[in-house]
Order: sequence, then C-alpha cells, then structure tokens
Amino acid sequence: MHVHMVNSIKPKTAANSGLVNCLVCHQLAPIAATHCQRCNTALSSRVKNSVQISLSLLVTAILLYIPANIYPIMSTELLGKTTQSTIIGGIVLFLEHGSYFVAAVILIASVIVPIAKMFALAWLCYCATRADGIKQYELTQLYRVTEFIGKWSMVDVFVVAILVALIQLGEIMSIKVGFAATAFAVVVIMTMVSAHQFDTRILWDRVDQE
Amino acid sequence: MNKAQPHLHACLECDLLVNMPDAISHRTNVHCPRCNHSIAMGHNNAKQYVLATSFTALILMVVACTFSFISFSSNEQIRTINLLQTFTELYTQEYYFVAVLVFSFILLLPTLYLTSVCLIILSTFRGFEIVPSVGLGKLMSYILPWSMAEVFLIGVLVALIKVTSMADISLEPSFWAYVIFAPLFTHIVSVIDSHRLWDWIEQAGACSHG
Ligand SMILES: [Zn+2]
Ligand SMILES: [Zn+2]
Repeated sequence: MHVHMVNSIKPKTAANSGLVNCLVCHQLAPIAATHCQRCNTALSSRVKNSVQISLSLLVTAILLYIPANIYPIMSTELLGKTTQSTIIGGIVLFLEHGSYFVAAVILIASVIVPIAKMFALAWLCYCATRADGIKQYELTQLYRVTEFIGKWSMVDVFVVAILVALIQLGEIMSIKVGFAATAFAVVVIMTMVSAHQFDTRILWDRVDQE
Repeated sequence: MNKAQPHLHACLECDLLVNMPDAISHRTNVHCPRCNHSIAMGHNNAKQYVLATSFTALILMVVACTFSFISFSSNEQIRTINLLQTFTELYTQEYYFVAVLVFSFILLLPTLYLTSVCLIILSTFRGFEIVPSVGLGKLMSYILPWSMAEVFLIGVLVALIKVTSMADISLEPSFWAYVIFAPLFTHIVSVIDSHRLWDWIEQAGACSHG
C-alpha cells in the first residue's frame, strides 16, 4: 500500500473534483445539482445504500431459488401418464437419455450460472464493506462478468415457454408449465437487479481516499 | 469522421475523469485507463448505419411475428405455432407473470429499443421530434438490460434439440427471421454507445427548439 501511495498521485475522479455523473446520459454536473440538466434524472454521487439493497435482493433470490428447485418446472403428459420434472430432475433425465449437450446447457444456465452469480454478488458486497486492501481491478472484472451472464439464466424459462407452446397434442403428448418457472424467473430478475444496484465506484473510492 | 466534443467524462465503473479525444477512429474503443471499462466506440457512419440496421431488424421482427414459427408432428398429428404462442400459451395456462415476462423480453423491449433509436435519428434529420428524444433516450437506457433476444434464440435451439428425438420438426419462415434478428439486435446495441446516442439526442433537441 505504501509503495502505491508514494508512486502515484491521487487520481482525479468526478467525486473528488466536485462533480457528479448522470447514470443515464453520462453528463457531468456540479456535485450540488439534484437533477441532470439534460435528462432530468435524479443525481447522486454514489448509488445510495447500494450494498444494502444489493444484499437484500440477493437474499430474496437465494430464498426463492429453493422453491425454484423443489417445485416442478413443467409436467409432461404422455398417453395419459403425467410426469413432473424439476430443474435438476430434467437434467438427470437428459443425461439418462444421452442428450449431454442439452443437459450441459440447462446445467450451466439454471444451476451453475445462478449459483456462481449469487456467490460473486455476495463476495462483492463483502469486499465493498471491508476496510483494508481489496483488489479493485479484479473485483470490477468479476462484476462485469456477473452483469454479463445475468440474463443468460433465463434460457431455461424460454425453453419451457417454447416446449409448452409447441407440445400440445392433447392426450397423446402435452406439456404444462409448473410453479418453478415463476420462481426461477423471479430469481433471475432479482439477481439482475441486485447486480445493477451494486455500485462498483465504491470499491475504487478506497484507493482515492488512501 | 466521428466528432466527439473534447470534454470530460467520468467512468461509470470507477468514477475516474477521462478526457475524451476529439475523434475516435473507426471501430476502436476508448477504455478507462484505470478499470478498463469501455467508454466509447468510434464509428465513421454510425447514424446512417444504425438507422439502416435498426430498420432492417424491425422488419425482421414484423416478419417473425407474422408467419409461423415451428411445426411439430408426431403420430400423424401436426401442430404449428407462431412466435406469439410462446407466451400466449403460458397465458392460457394462467401463468400470467411468466407470460408477460417472455412477451417483454423477447418482443416488446427489443422492438421498443429499436423504434426509439430510429425515432431519435429521424428527429436529427427532419428537425422535429414526434416523441421527445430525451424521454426515448432514458427509455432506451432502462430497457436495454432486459432485452433478451439472443438468450431466447439459444432457448429455441435447446428446445429444438430436446424435441427432435421425439418428433419431426420443421422450421418455418418466422424462425429464420428471428435467427437473423437476434444477432443483428446484439450487433446494433454494440454500435450505439451511450456517448454517441446522447449526442444525437442533443442534436434532435437543438433542431426542434432552435
Ligand atoms: Zn442525465
Ligand atoms: Zn474506470
């Protein structure tokens, strides 16, 4: 830390230059301004209570991820026989049928990505509140990945939507959507909003203050 | 030439003040020197290019909504669906929330985004605003994270791999329209950087008020 302080001059940021950045149109305004001149968005130097809001949305997402996995995401009616399948159950079924590609896509989109995203957000929130040296650059990269992969978890919901629309042959074969689809869609939305609420600039404020 | 006025810009992710160059050469990015966030991308003919591609994408969307999407046949029964049925079927099964989400993510929001950018660009040419450009710009920044055309496309492909084992599938015109639409939409989004977009909005405003 000391080496860093000696070698670099204090970086000029909007906040320490008496400016505030509009998050919608990216125009700078004096720090005292309450609304952006160009687009009239309410201005604030940092997203207020960013970590708390992110964390509470994250906890909601984690709680909803439980019913998303317990309840069936869809039920298939084949010649009068109804089979219900959960997200995990669906993956296992595909593995048994030898459709490794589909199993892999669903596994990545519905299990690995959401869980990895939840861990990443929790880690970001933890680091943002920690006082001592954090790796801003790496954390910002982690945030970018988290934000980018967010919407890809919706794949499973779309797959169900298409199957439900397509496979409606009455008694022979039909598919009905299950409660887990709603729960899972909310999980994805919650993690997306949580990531969106997280203000990476608070990570960098630590360097600026040193 | 892409003219970006020499002015200060605060990085969205780390708040560092960056002096924007006068001109950014074609298809090169300006990155934040501290956190590497991509701030702006140069394009020699962005206005015409975005207008033309957005218009093409809108036409593809109309095509995708007009014709049939996929047909599915099993045991001499045939079912053909159009794109709209991917959410209307969810609606008839009383999963209203998921139905509205699918409708918004794959159709409504991408269409609104493209329509907004077309209206903004047309306002800069014609000298009057049909819809206030500032409002459209704000709308675009709010809906962008929720446009999931490319995610839906992957969902369609996964669903198709799932069903090919149990039935005969034929891909209809509207499917191909969406296959072109989704990557095109992603490409358009990558060309519209917010910096340039708000320059256009200012031009549109200056034309109609001055
Ligand atoms: Zn603004
Ligand atoms: Zn930066």
